Amino acid sequence: MRIGIMSFAHLHAYAYADVLNQLAGVEFAGIADEDAERGKAVASQLGTRYFNSFEELLKADIDGVIITAANADHRRLTEMAAAAGKHILCEKPIATTLEDGLAMEKVTREAGVKFQMAFPCRYVPAVQRLKAQYDDGLLGRVVLLRGTNHGKMPGGFFIDPEAAGGGAVVDHTVHLVDLVRWIFQTEIKEVYAEIDRRFHDIPTDDCGLLTLELTNGAFMTLDPSWSRPDDFYTWGDLYLKVVGTNMVTEVDMMRQSLERIGSQDPNYQWEFWGSNSDYGLVKEFVACIREDRQPTITAQDGIKALEVALAAYESAKTGKPVKLDN
Amino acid sequence: MRVGIVGFGTMGTTHAASYQRIADCELVAIADIRPERRALAEEQHDVRSYATLRDMLSAEALDVIDVCVPTFLHREHVEIAAEAGKHVFCEKPLARSRAEGQAMVDACRKAGVILGVGHVVRFFPEYQRAKAVIESGQMGNVGTVYTYRGGGGFPTAWQDWYARYEWSGGLTLDLIIHDFDFLRWTLGEVERVFAKSTWGRENNRMEHVLVSLRFANGVIGNVEGTWLDLGTFGTKFEFACDEGLLTHDSHWSSALKSYQLQSAAHTGKPGVAVPESPMAIDPYTLELKHFIECAREGKEPMINGEEALRAVEIAVAAQESIKTGKPVRLERG
Repeated sequence: MRIGIMSFAHLHAYAYADVLNQLAGVEFAGIADEDAERGKAVASQLGTRYFNSFEELLKADIDGVIITAANADHRRLTEMAAAAGKHILCEKPIATTLEDGLAMEKVTREAGVKFQMAFPCRYVPAVQRLKAQYDDGLLGRVVLLRGTNHGKMPGGFFIDPEAAGGGAVVDHTVHLVDLVRWIFQTEIKEVYAEIDRRFHDIPTDDCGLLTLELTNGAFMTLDPSWSRPDDFYTWGDLYLKVVGTNMVTEVDMMRQSLERIGSQDPNYQWEFWGSNSDYGLVKEFVACIREDRQPTITAQDGIKALEVALAAYESAKTGKPVKLDN
Repeated sequence: MRVGIVGFGTMGTTHAASYQRIADCELVAIADIRPERRALAEEQHDVRSYATLRDMLSAEALDVIDVCVPTFLHREHVEIAAEAGKHVFCEKPLARSRAEGQAMVDACRKAGVILGVGHVVRFFPEYQRAKAVIESGQMGNVGTVYTYRGGGGFPTAWQDWYARYEWSGGLTLDLIIHDFDFLRWTLGEVERVFAKSTWGRENNRMEHVLVSLRFANGVIGNVEGTWLDLGTFGTKFEFACDEGLLTHDSHWSSALKSYQLQSAAHTGKPGVAVPESPMAIDPYTLELKHFIECAREGKEPMINGEEALRAVEIAVAAQESIKTGKPVRLERG
């Protein structure tokens, strides 16, 4: 099994490359990057081949690609990969517009290639335990949720409104929305949002608060802000509280860490020892190709998560809750 | 200063203990319509007791009336005390509506008496410190803020008044008004409120509320409150600023941790959660000490009627948003 990576614009590419190098029977076949300098440097650093163009990478003897380009480039690269018959693991969010997301779903379906969204949080063991609690009826009916996905301001294409399709809200809304849809088998039917730029001097939003109504009767607030300081002790957080009629459960993904207190700067850091969720994600992608089955995280999942982020921007603009056709 | 308390429930009991610790202040009498509470008051304190505030006022020479009856009875008791020319300390929330609160404020102004309101969180050292740090500018500007309050279970009291929304206003008016007041004190006026509650969806003893706030200075706030029994009552906050984070979690900071070795029934605990204070002088005593000083010297207390009314307005806006599903804009924002 040979897998390539298209673009290292998104930092997650490094984590996925690590997994490709770990998986048995998988060869990290090479990379192509719109930024040739970055691509060459990364290829030599990771010990893989650099291809001079996306076309060349796609002509090579590879089974699939991981697309970790800027959000706005996902559609174009997906169309290229689909035309070349390569299976695709696509970084989130799926795209910057619903139109692009729908086109990606269509083109991959028609080309008969597998398309998996990169929502690695589904592979966090604590998240899977939460899903089991719900599936086994331990939580009861879900009444409300509160989630945070805080991070540091990432820079790069993330703060280019055209390339990213927004700022913190489009970047950090989709993980939690995907988890909620997946775990509780529900859709979001209404979105209200306060969105602003209050932390950094950048062209995009960097903070917000979404209030959601779900089709299962529950409600939720979701904080996607890039509100962690640059020298925060870890990259951020992914937290979800679920209040069910029988149980309250909290998942706090980054808590599986040691506190490291030193005498030099940075004198306080978290040392994460939890499971690598990217491993589960990439392993599943490879398994889907190998076993010729459909990925469990689909283009539709990507579209549904994006829809909520886009509705949040609309709500913030109009000052009104936005109804979704779910 | 001679003090009479009306309502010897959880807060009346707490205040009675506090008055013992305040110099030049004497708790003289207590009024409560329940004979067993009067008996308890007389047993615990060197006081005389009466069935009603009017009985207490006609029998005793008092300077201050401390109103600790359920929320829906605040207006009646504050007005009686004001008409009798007594300074009034009223438990929070001041009132259930803007109109009700304004009438109380007006009654006290007209009578020329001092009105203070029990937004005791302003006397909690962790909240005072947070306000001081934010105001110092060390953290830069506040971007977003989160507060949490609750987890101690549903309060049970006289006539189950907390469970009657029209009497207590539910969790939004009774519990998280503390956070509305604290945030407004620290960050300024609130412009817009959007809120969701289990009220009307679930058993009202399990009420849990999530509020989205937008302040006039642009800060985005998320206020969470719950009556659910999550083991212990707790409070949290996080100020995310452009120069760093300022966080508090009462479970983390409690200096004394005790664990009851038998599971408590899930049907609620008697009384209302009153947080254990790690301080030499507890916040309830500090708030009453401040009020007594103001009453004695004829000064406006930090939390006067007008100030308390602003917090009621935020809570009422949240209630309206919960009912209508729409954001509510505050006139004053």
